[in-house]
Amino acid sequence: MRTLHIIGASLWRGITAAYPLILLAIVWEAVARLGYVRPVFLPPLSAVFAQFWPLATGGDLVQPLLVSLYRAAAGLALAIVLGVAIGFLMARMRVVRWLLDPLIAFSFPSPKIAFLPIFILWFGIDHLAKIALVAFTCVFPFIVAAYAGATTVPTHQLWAARAMGTSNLGLLRRVVLPASLPSLMSGVRVGVPYALVTAFTAEMVAGGGGLGGEMVLAQRYFETPTVFVYLLIMLATGYVIDLGVLALRRRILRWHEG
Amino acid sequence: MSAPSSAAAIKIRVEGVAKRFDQSGQPVEALANVELAVREGEFVSIVGPSGCGKSTLLYMLGGFLAPSAGRLLVDGAPITGPGVDRGVVFQEYALFPWLTVFDNIAYGLREAGMGAREVTATAERYIALIGLSGFERRFPRELSGGMKQRVALARTFAYEPSILLLDEPFGALDAQTREIMQDELLRLWRTTGKTVLMVTHDVSEAVYLSNRVCVMSQRPGCMVEEFAIDLDHSVEREQVVLSPAYTAIRNAVWIAVRQQVVVARRGAA
Amino acid sequence: MSAPAQTTPAQTLALPIWALHSLSRLTPFVLFLAAWQGLAKSGLIDPTFLPSVSAVGHALIDLGASPSFYTDLAVTLGRSLGGLALGAAIGIPLGAGMAVSRKIDGFFGPLVKATYSLPKTALIPLLLLWLGIGSATNIVAVMFSTLLPFVVYTYHGIHGVPQLLTWSARAMGTPQRRLLWKILLPASLHAILTGLRLALGFSFVIAIAAEMIAANTGIGKLMFIYGESGAYDYMFAAVAAVVALAYVADRLTVVISNRLLRWDDVENRLG
Repeated sequence: MRTLHIIGASLWRGITAAYPLILLAIVWEAVARLGYVRPVFLPPLSAVFAQFWPLATGGDLVQPLLVSLYRAAAGLALAIVLGVAIGFLMARMRVVRWLLDPLIAFSFPSPKIAFLPIFILWFGIDHLAKIALVAFTCVFPFIVAAYAGATTVPTHQLWAARAMGTSNLGLLRRVVLPASLPSLMSGVRVGVPYALVTAFTAEMVAGGGGLGGEMVLAQRYFETPTVFVYLLIMLATGYVIDLGVLALRRRILRWHEG
Repeated sequence: MSAPSSAAAIKIRVEGVAKRFDQSGQPVEALANVELAVREGEFVSIVGPSGCGKSTLLYMLGGFLAPSAGRLLVDGAPITGPGVDRGVVFQEYALFPWLTVFDNIAYGLREAGMGAREVTATAERYIALIGLSGFERRFPRELSGGMKQRVALARTFAYEPSILLLDEPFGALDAQTREIMQDELLRLWRTTGKTVLMVTHDVSEAVYLSNRVCVMSQRPGCMVEEFAIDLDHSVEREQVVLSPAYTAIRNAVWIAVRQQVVVARRGAA
Repeated sequence: MSAPAQTTPAQTLALPIWALHSLSRLTPFVLFLAAWQGLAKSGLIDPTFLPSVSAVGHALIDLGASPSFYTDLAVTLGRSLGGLALGAAIGIPLGAGMAVSRKIDGFFGPLVKATYSLPKTALIPLLLLWLGIGSATNIVAVMFSTLLPFVVYTYHGIHGVPQLLTWSARAMGTPQRRLLWKILLPASLHAILTGLRLALGFSFVIAIAAEMIAANTGIGKLMFIYGESGAYDYMFAAVAAVVALAYVADRLTVVISNRLLRWDDVENRLG
């Protein structure tokens, strides 16, 4: 009897928490069905859901999604490797810091998407240009995070490790890297959504497949339900990945007091 | 300073007040059956062990919190919320950081609808009174703790509420500044004749400033003892503080508070 | 006989410290441009892929003399700022409302949280369907992307205002309904301006992205036209111009914010 009560209570809480969304869904369906707007502008929500299956079975859903995810992931991996390396170098060598800091500060506020034409010139319109853009956009948060993490390692930890005979590389691997993990995880939290958005956007601009490319194609052919499907998939993907990053963060930072 | 005659009207009345808080599921009784009466023009201090609920009582008198039981009356009418008849000075000053010293002090005056010229005159008068002439255009972040507290006092005195509620107003100040501010407060009180209710953990301060000190028990707080004080403030501070009269009362109050602290410690053990 | 006093580098060069500091910050740019020029002229890379600094420089000067370039820049800037203003006009009151009213928070909170994970550029094709190609799509797209920072930062700013400030104001006669405007918003100014700076960055990105996807005017479109017609030095020049513009806009925002926040603690200054 008590478990029933708990289930009921959490269900009620879930409904009250999400009621605006449910309301929105109902209003959407009603407005579309009652003919207040033309279906090309606002297809009924049910029609959008109905479009999932044909897209999925026709290879127009999972395939493009995977392509986008691949591009985002590859670019992100590049960004992490480069960003952390540069950030640590900047923390370690004053010359590197002097050289790179003004350049980074100058390009920080710039819209990285403006560089896409250059990357397309260099790498064409397939995967590489998009991966390059993702890497370029996402490298900055990691440089900042790695630099911040490395410069806040307590000096005494470093001294203790040295006293125990740790080499420079060992120092990096076993002291600086773990100590910088919280900061790096903050970089991941920022970088992952950026990577996804940049991949989608680059595809929308330059075509070449992926979810973004398919979305623009559907828009050009006025296939509105398809556009909505892709939009919802993007939303769901973003949400799932956010959850994943949070779970990862919790796992990696188990030992951290922060 | 002589205590107001017993014929003075009762300004503040606290009857059987209790306050319960819900702290993450656990009910906490902060106050239980508090009784207090303050006459017009009196300077009353409330002292007691840490956490006994004296600030909570003050916040209820300010109208920011409602009692769980009992009543709080001002001039015979129950308190329903904050009001311009009860000015409040907090330990953390609570100055508006985006306003200059002048604008902070003028705030209450402007809320009262005072005309611009009168506002300027009154505000400048108070700024001079607290010795901060020349600092009108400064922001609170540029002031020292003592200066901020002076502005906080001036801000509340300026629009002349009939009651002043002070919550450990000098707690954040160093010892020397505190003494200067105490004499400043005394002077302001004597020139305006307002009713003052002060909460403090500093027994010496309470005895020095007030004509009545009320001792609160440990949590849940209620009034356990009262001391009437009649010190001669026409002489220098040193003479007052070193006088046997002051020392006797101070010791008595201190012992009363100490007893509550010991009981609290034993209760927690 | 005393030893000669040590001279600092500043004194050696007879320059004030700030000038020396600026020179030090500019040198990496000079080195970067020198490296670029060297690489371009070395013959290692096809000049089509990497126009030399001098070529880009010429293109830049050329663009600087053509009014249509400024028109395109103005169009993009207008769309960014227009969307930004709309985002602020809706986002700040919404964030404030959510912070002070449990009901409003209960209604809009889930909606806001639902859009957290949505890449706002995903709305552009939808807006193209609804509003067609043109400034309306761009401005609305920018508005949607700037809404979230304004809502979130305003919300948290207001929640962070110490209760004693509202209590003091009420004790001094401010009625409940005026608290938001007189106390909560000024006290949250730092948070709101931080949100503004973030939103400004977003607005440029979305405006240019939208132009690149489908537009007839604007710098995003221009960059693609140059790319498609092979005028790569002009393309690079346009990119450089956009980067410079974004930097100036950001700096301006920081300077103005710090002026508005001159009453705030120094550690809270915007970088």
